[in-house]
Amino acid sequence: MANIDTLSARQIASAVASGELSALEVAQAALDAVEAREGEVQAFLQVTPELALAAADRVDAARAAGEALPPLAGVPVAVKDNMNLVGTRTTCASRMLESYESPYTATCVQRMLDAGCVPVGKTNMDEFAFGSSTDTSAFHPTNNPWNTSCVPGGSSGGSAAAVAAGEVPLALGSDTGGSIRQPAALCGVVGMKPTYGAVSRYGVVAFGSSLDQVGPFGRTVEDVALAMDALVTGGHDRCDSTSQEVAPVFAQHLDASIEGRRVGIIPSFMEAEGLSPEVRSAVESAAKALEAAGAELVEVDLPHLDAAIAAYYVIGPAEAFSNLARFDGVRYGYQEPNCRNLADQSSLSRAHGFGAEAKRRQMLGAYLLSSGIYDKYYYAAQKARTLITADYAAAYEKVDVIIMPASPQVAFEHGAISDPTQMYLSDMYTISINIAGNGGMTVPVGLGTDSGMPVAAQLVAPAFKDERLITFGAALERAFASDGAPIMGVAPAFSGKGGELA
Amino acid sequence: MALTETDVRGIADYARIALEGDELAQMTSYMNDAVDMLEPILAYNLPDVDPTFHPIGGLSNVMREDVCDSERGLSIDAALDNAGSSRDRYFRVPSILGEGDEA
Repeated sequence: MANIDTLSARQIASAVASGELSALEVAQAALDAVEAREGEVQAFLQVTPELALAAADRVDAARAAGEALPPLAGVPVAVKDNMNLVGTRTTCASRMLESYESPYTATCVQRMLDAGCVPVGKTNMDEFAFGSSTDTSAFHPTNNPWNTSCVPGGSSGGSAAAVAAGEVPLALGSDTGGSIRQPAALCGVVGMKPTYGAVSRYGVVAFGSSLDQVGPFGRTVEDVALAMDALVTGGHDRCDSTSQEVAPVFAQHLDASIEGRRVGIIPSFMEAEGLSPEVRSAVESAAKALEAAGAELVEVDLPHLDAAIAAYYVIGPAEAFSNLARFDGVRYGYQEPNCRNLADQSSLSRAHGFGAEAKRRQMLGAYLLSSGIYDKYYYAAQKARTLITADYAAAYEKVDVIIMPASPQVAFEHGAISDPTQMYLSDMYTISINIAGNGGMTVPVGLGTDSGMPVAAQLVAPAFKDERLITFGAALERAFASDGAPIMGVAPAFSGKGGELA
Repeated sequence: MALTETDVRGIADYARIALEGDELAQMTSYMNDAVDMLEPILAYNLPDVDPTFHPIGGLSNVMREDVCDSERGLSIDAALDNAGSSRDRYFRVPSILGEGDEA
């Protein structure tokens, strides 16, 4: 019988629905794969065999009772550890929340469970999602399955690595400045940040409230489309006022034609300092593949994108400072013992609960929101957002989607970027999309010619036209992979390790 | 003008983050690097451009009746479960004013 890592989410759901596999067999194989691979990958902060086996049991019981199964019944899923799931801790990879028990389940997680998914565990991340390497986790780093001396990217590095290592076919991440798309690129998996508002953030620990969005990782575009359908089924979430009605029809756009449709390229992005030659050539080959499939390539100019990184590092830290002010050591989170008064308890709990990068971001945010500084930076950043959004809108008058890099370089070694402001440049291609609020998707296109590590392209679409990401992503997959297989598959060092289906 | 350690200590007080040992010097160096990186944004203080505070326009406050929301509300026990210190039905904190007697 096959190894669990050779099956896509769609194939698992179909095998469970037909009775070819039981959900329990699948869950046990996934837990077995996790056990065999975790030592080297360290993608998880918690593995949840009890929750997984109980969910699998429910699927099998429903099938035995003749009930119709939901679309992803029996599919193992991993969830980033900033998403609440009852029965787990939600730590945000921080000492601050080391013992925080989820009091309720986040809507995005609940919707995956409602679709029949089986929760295998909570994945590692940069602390409170501040980072691009997952090295700022307070508990342990995560290793890139393609080369374990390298980072998986971040902040959703655990979710990307768990999928790339074949531990799970699907995982959820969150993306405030590139935290789904950059780790997807570094780990050779598909990762999608939908339009802001497409997926409810209720129950996801907030970082940048005008930027945060939840999205899925998978090894195929089809699996990501199915996960998106699950995430938007149920429509507007009354617990998140920013959530919008989105039709669960992503999977219907997998086979749409791209013949005659237009794909934008931003010349200045392709010539940018810091873009590695192998990533540039990968994106160029992806663009050519879309052209060969019938699309027309059109150059577009987004003149204000130069402001994106500066705008992001004003808006992001300002919002993070406001959001993380809630961690005062009183209602939840680390509490410093034996303090003389409440002020000392707050500032010492925060000093000892937060790691270095979480403190840096909040300090920067506090400064940017302080009197006299706020007017200079914060308003300017929000004006830059107006111009960046208008740039994208103008570009989409001419094109259906834009193709660009997701990360300027392939995965780097642990500790290779020690300067925090240098690390911020990892997000140079992803950040402007969060600022404008539209959707983007990373699609792997192979291994870099110099490094042998995964290289990827990013597709970007207008707000609430995320189905185009699925259509063009599927077209790329058809160009780079054979017959429905994933472009990259599981990283070779982990392929077939544990996870045999009985 | 570069931020001094005194400035950064003031920001840390405001942010309620106690900086200890070498942290003040390191944070001052970081803050100055970060503020330098943000310099390009100052060119965007344009009088004829409106700021966009949120990607979704037209959002309004969500109002509801002033009654307990059983879907979102936590029970007292659940709300207290994650607290570092509680007593009876309450979160327990040290003295709010003065030096207190909790030491």
